[in-house]
Amino acid sequence: MEHVYNIDSQLQLLDAIKANNSVVLKQLYTANYYKIEALVLKNNGSKEHAKDVYQDAFIAVWKNVKNDQFIPENETALQGYLYQIAKNKWMDILRSPSFKKTKTIQHELNVLDKNIDQNGHEKNEEQEFYRKRLEQTMEAFKNLGAPCKELLTAFYFDKASLRDIADKLKIEENSVRTKKYRCMEKLRQLALASKK
Amino acid sequence: MYGKTSSVGISLEKIRKLKNNSNFTPELLEAVERYDNGSMTPEERISFENQLKDIDFKALVEDIRMTLLSIETQALKERLDEFHKDIPENRPVEKSTTKVRFLSFSKIAIAAGIIIALGIFWMFSGSSNEKLFNQHFRPDPGLPTTMSSSDSFVFYDAMVNYKQGDYKTAISKWQKLAVKTPENDTINYFLGVAYLADKNADKAIPFLNKTIYNTESVFLEDAHYYLGMAYLKSDRKEEAIREFKKSGSEKSNDLLKDLQDGVSSYK
Repeated sequence: MEHVYNIDSQLQLLDAIKANNSVVLKQLYTANYYKIEALVLKNNGSKEHAKDVYQDAFIAVWKNVKNDQFIPENETALQGYLYQIAKNKWMDILRSPSFKKTKTIQHELNVLDKNIDQNGHEKNEEQEFYRKRLEQTMEAFKNLGAPCKELLTAFYFDKASLRDIADKLKIEENSVRTKKYRCMEKLRQLALASKK
Repeated sequence: MYGKTSSVGISLEKIRKLKNNSNFTPELLEAVERYDNGSMTPEERISFENQLKDIDFKALVEDIRMTLLSIETQALKERLDEFHKDIPENRPVEKSTTKVRFLSFSKIAIAAGIIIALGIFWMFSGSSNEKLFNQHFRPDPGLPTTMSSSDSFVFYDAMVNYKQGDYKTAISKWQKLAVKTPENDTINYFLGVAYLADKNADKAIPFLNKTIYNTESVFLEDAHYYLGMAYLKSDRKEEAIREFKKSGSEKSNDLLKDLQDGVSSYK
């Protein structure tokens, strides 16, 4: 299952990102961080700001790759795209009037996310509802019990097969299938129960 | 106002529906997974797409997809924190060096190549007036920096910068003096010359023009000359010739000859 991905080859890179290949994601993440840190530090930010804005941008890029909304035009297009998104996000934060008052970045990011979508347009209520549900479900997943969390991460993020998981947990493949469904049910209930 | 209230109603209704929804079955979950990863048979696919025409069914499918995206996103988020610990910490904090570290040798080589190419392009493609300017222009040598009185300290301090070729610093210091004594021909003259030496002819012109208002100025001859040079650099040949004629200095006459002959050294 372990492919050797050439990070310079954009199309392979995109496939690896879509497959959530941890080796490639890590390489991409660690190789491009300092450019953003330098930018943020030079522009009134801290290392903490840099990390938050970079992770936020990284997730945005990952989502766009997943949805085929990013088409590479040259050999370092994705890296440039990542830099550009992080830069835009940081500039938006710097421009926000509340930046000078509060320096807690998470607050800033949330405020921005609430009002502006990927293309800078104001979100409509439908999108707003979706965004809120997504946030609640992410929060619920964060606090989900370890057994469920590990199983769902292995299956949905690391794309392990039911067979692989069954072998690892030393249980029947069918019980993994049932467990996975029960965990999903639990997660969805938790998310719906959260009041925010 | 009413729109807002009703939209909250819609959201609440949606949540209630999802909560009461017993339609979230293992079969549906797997159908969504298989539809999204393309492992359905064509028949299954068509039947699934037909079901999607039902709005409630579609909403449920979208909600399941949202749950899956949440799992992946949160898992990635947590993974990123792990990655972050493994970013090498060997980086100096100094800002000046951070920029350079990212420049690989090849990038520097490319940049150098572009600069050289631009330089060559500029040398051979500039207007003949520009060439003439570059050929003739020498900044005024400036005044001897004797510290006579405390009042003129700033002026001579800036003169030191000027003589060292640090025109920008000299300009910023003289500018402050010019605010206090806007009619001082010495300050206007050197501001003009400094701007011109700093390749900013547009800013040099008004200061040199101010200098020549004072027809008694010791700088009159040179001010006309440098004003001519500023016009030459801005490709305003007629005005340049006029100023060189008014100046009458040896340097001005040399330039007039070159201008009228249409001679440039790059023949």
